[in-house]
Amino acid sequence: MSKLPLPVNHLGSLSQEGAPLHLARQFSRRDFLKIASAGSAAGVLLASSSSVAAQSLTSTERELLQHAIDVAMSAGADYADGRIIRTQFEAIGTREQTITQVQNTDSFGINVRALVGGSWGFSATRNLNRQDIANMAREAVAIARANNSVAPAPTTLAPVDVYPNENWVTPHSIDPFSVSLEEKAALLLNANAEALREQNIRFTSSSILSVKEERLVATSEGSFIDQTLFRINPSMNITAISADGTDFQSRSAVVEPAGRGYEYVLGLDLVGNAPRWAEEAAMKLNAVSVEPGQWDLVLQPSNLWLTIHEAIGHPTELDRAYGYEANYAGTSFLHPPEEVLGQLRLGPEFMQFVGNRTEVGGCATIGWDDEGVPAESWPIIENGVFVDYQTTREQAAWIESLTGVSRSHGCAYGQNWESMPFQRMPNVSLMPGEEDLSEEEVIAATDRGILIEGRGSYSIDQQRYNLQFAGQVFWEIRNGQKYQMLRDVAYVGRTPEFWNSLDVLGGDSTYFLGASFGDAKGQPIQVNAVSHGCPISLFRNIDIINTA
Amino acid sequence: MAEQKGLSTNDLRSISDRILLLSQADHCRVNIDSGWRGYTRVATNRITSAGGRDNTEITITSVFGNKIATVSTNRFDDSELEQAVRRSEEMARLAPNNPEYMEELGPQNFNRVAAYYDSTGSLEPQTRAEAAALAIRQAQAANQVAASYMDVRAGTSAVATSSGLFGSHSSTGVAYTLTSRSPDGLQSGWAGDEANDWNNIESTRVAADAVRKCRNWNKTALEPGEYTAILEPTAVGMLMLRMMNAFNQRTADEGRSYFSNPAGGNRIGEILFDEKVTLYSDPAHPDAETAPFSNSGQPVSPKVWVNAGKLESLSRSRYWAKQQDQEPIAGPSNFIMQGGDSSLEEMIASTERGVLLTRFWYIRGLNPRIVSHTGLTRDGTFLIENGRISRPVTNFRFNQSLIAMLQNVEMLSPSTRVAASENSSVSTPIVVPALKVNGFNLSSVSDAI
Repeated sequence: MSKLPLPVNHLGSLSQEGAPLHLARQFSRRDFLKIASAGSAAGVLLASSSSVAAQSLTSTERELLQHAIDVAMSAGADYADGRIIRTQFEAIGTREQTITQVQNTDSFGINVRALVGGSWGFSATRNLNRQDIANMAREAVAIARANNSVAPAPTTLAPVDVYPNENWVTPHSIDPFSVSLEEKAALLLNANAEALREQNIRFTSSSILSVKEERLVATSEGSFIDQTLFRINPSMNITAISADGTDFQSRSAVVEPAGRGYEYVLGLDLVGNAPRWAEEAAMKLNAVSVEPGQWDLVLQPSNLWLTIHEAIGHPTELDRAYGYEANYAGTSFLHPPEEVLGQLRLGPEFMQFVGNRTEVGGCATIGWDDEGVPAESWPIIENGVFVDYQTTREQAAWIESLTGVSRSHGCAYGQNWESMPFQRMPNVSLMPGEEDLSEEEVIAATDRGILIEGRGSYSIDQQRYNLQFAGQVFWEIRNGQKYQMLRDVAYVGRTPEFWNSLDVLGGDSTYFLGASFGDAKGQPIQVNAVSHGCPISLFRNIDIINTA
Repeated sequence: MAEQKGLSTNDLRSISDRILLLSQADHCRVNIDSGWRGYTRVATNRITSAGGRDNTEITITSVFGNKIATVSTNRFDDSELEQAVRRSEEMARLAPNNPEYMEELGPQNFNRVAAYYDSTGSLEPQTRAEAAALAIRQAQAANQVAASYMDVRAGTSAVATSSGLFGSHSSTGVAYTLTSRSPDGLQSGWAGDEANDWNNIESTRVAADAVRKCRNWNKTALEPGEYTAILEPTAVGMLMLRMMNAFNQRTADEGRSYFSNPAGGNRIGEILFDEKVTLYSDPAHPDAETAPFSNSGQPVSPKVWVNAGKLESLSRSRYWAKQQDQEPIAGPSNFIMQGGDSSLEEMIASTERGVLLTRFWYIRGLNPRIVSHTGLTRDGTFLIENGRISRPVTNFRFNQSLIAMLQNVEMLSPSTRVAASENSSVSTPIVVPALKVNGFNLSSVSDAI
């Protein structure tokens, strides 16, 4: 079924570690020293890539996890899986020339999920000793049994190969946790200083959030998978205040999170780019307020990725389509599956969306998911037609007769040791056009349009029909060229019409991954990190409102 | 009485003493959150997930001069605790100066707030499953499909500083919400409840209300525009959860808020809202109890933000208060809008043409200068004509300044605690009335049901 140009790469690629993508060309040791110069003599830490801490979960932990599974099975579970997860966060935040936050969190625990009849029970504890783990496993089975007696329901788990001894590490060249705080602080404070040099810039804030997840997953079918995931989220927000104090405008969302190491942050050149972002914030003060009405839209990937997340990513979650999120995250307009799969046209013939957990740099890129299913990529919208959802092992059977796909697409994830895994969004990306059109060529394809860069305020209804998205920087396009800066712009629309108005796709060279650390779903709410790739794209005749 | 969930006060004190003893920093603060959480979730008339977990998280803040860093861990054997203390010290030594750092507080007098209810703390998974089964039965009886969630929390928290401050608090909370939908997906109704005390959760009433709202009427379209709107308490609460963040003096003084005075400073003392609007916080408010201290150990006292339409106070951090030569005011730990004496029925009866709104979805800020937000109506949107609910209508996106809304209040019901978070987890306690407001801006139609 898959004939889209993405590699199926479920074994990951440690070999890519040594090639710090996109950074090697742009970054020199001299830059590094410049960035670190505001710090003391701690020097520059260039981490060696071989010291990845894939082994920091020990063989004792492997034994304890097996114990949890064994106790659950002997307590009567029909199937059980479990995880030992250690999650570390490090946050450093600044404001102007001040450090506002230096924080490190470390959370460690074990969980087990048990299936009795067709009902699940889940339990978790931070106490990693055999007695507490046994109690936890029995509690998960007891909850499952109570649920099965009150409201029994069938559950079929899709087949999966057994992987008894695997490991995978996010491709990276600098472990963010090996870079000193003073080096990170110096980078952020330098970027703030550069921004504050521009006229009317009064406030800046910036931060770097680093995440390291060590996850050991085991199933009662015999899989044992050890993974270390890295993600990093740099951010910067610049505020300009008008000379008379009556107006302010901000430029934020200047860069994106990624599933990479610290080399990614270095490659972004925050210090070099800060003056441009600051200038944009100041220009917004004097920008022309948009004339509402219909305009052509040219969306930069830095804006479009979030629209993809909300209006393709969420409605293609199969549990939503079935009503599992009706009380919170919502249902989906892509329902019922038998009436939309392979039938509903959501866009032009050249529009291709893939779900994937294999894209290098993606925040949702993994080796295996929380049910031991290998990462893969698959078409979600093929030639403009909706063809498949995102699935877990439990869900695959629900639509197998419609898609012919018997296996899970590997979308199970629990945010930490406390959290029961469920269906979460993979990277969902819009493929670039076949012709390699540049940004200028796409802009040239409209006489009257608005170019939007960066994500702004965004909101969409719970079935993912009515969308309203703003942005960061808006340019009026006249006769195929950027003409003047606009402000107060938001585009509104109805999802199917919006994608059907897609007219021109940029090429490979404009393809770019945007990402969020804050994809929320579930009760208790869980947060997922996910990336969306796309090229610059032109949409025809979109309704624009003025948000002032 | 059953044993309370979470570490005891003695354990909280002994752990914080151990940490403060280990500390070699100039100043040290310890925050501990210890507790249990249990939940049961229903969808498609079955229980789709249920679980529980115990956790204790310790946060250590170490300070050298003005250099400050924070480390959190849930591992606290002696050696692990010492490692965490040392790590926070290493990080603090590395951290550049923070000129806004304020020295840790010494001993404070906190009013004790009884926020822990054993009815909630000892709730069993079986009781949650039975509430779920009740919702499923009521939905099935009406040929509807239930999706519900019950979130139960119980635990303790503490703050301690190297300057001798210690405070501890125990609390419980439960939120129960239910969305009932027709099998064809063309109708949806919602109801919910939230409390510290499980005995105040009316699970039978919640199920009946959700099923009733999903009644089998044909929805019809309605033109977008400005409407007289009756917002049920949950809808009001979801907006007030946003509004409460606006009462910050620093953003006002810095020219970044509606409460900024264009000539500099802020607008405290000015009449900015309808005179029927009074907004306040009180950690001891019945069944909306919260800790009487902030994370930094600052006492949280009852505070009126808006009194009969007049901006009375804005929260200010200890740093900002010092800059302004004023006393610090902790931010709101709960948020209460004083109610009126109209019933929902009276509001409907007094309305010639308007809409009745149940709750909102995907609320996002638009323009902080007018505290405007966008979002969508959800799970029970009705047209009112000639004093009666005439029919359910399609959902809408709203684009609305909350300031303008609070300037156009016509009627208020008595106030009640609501489940105000969009994800229906136990939230910051919000106690609000139903409101009848004029000129509520429903800006476009949403096809979502």
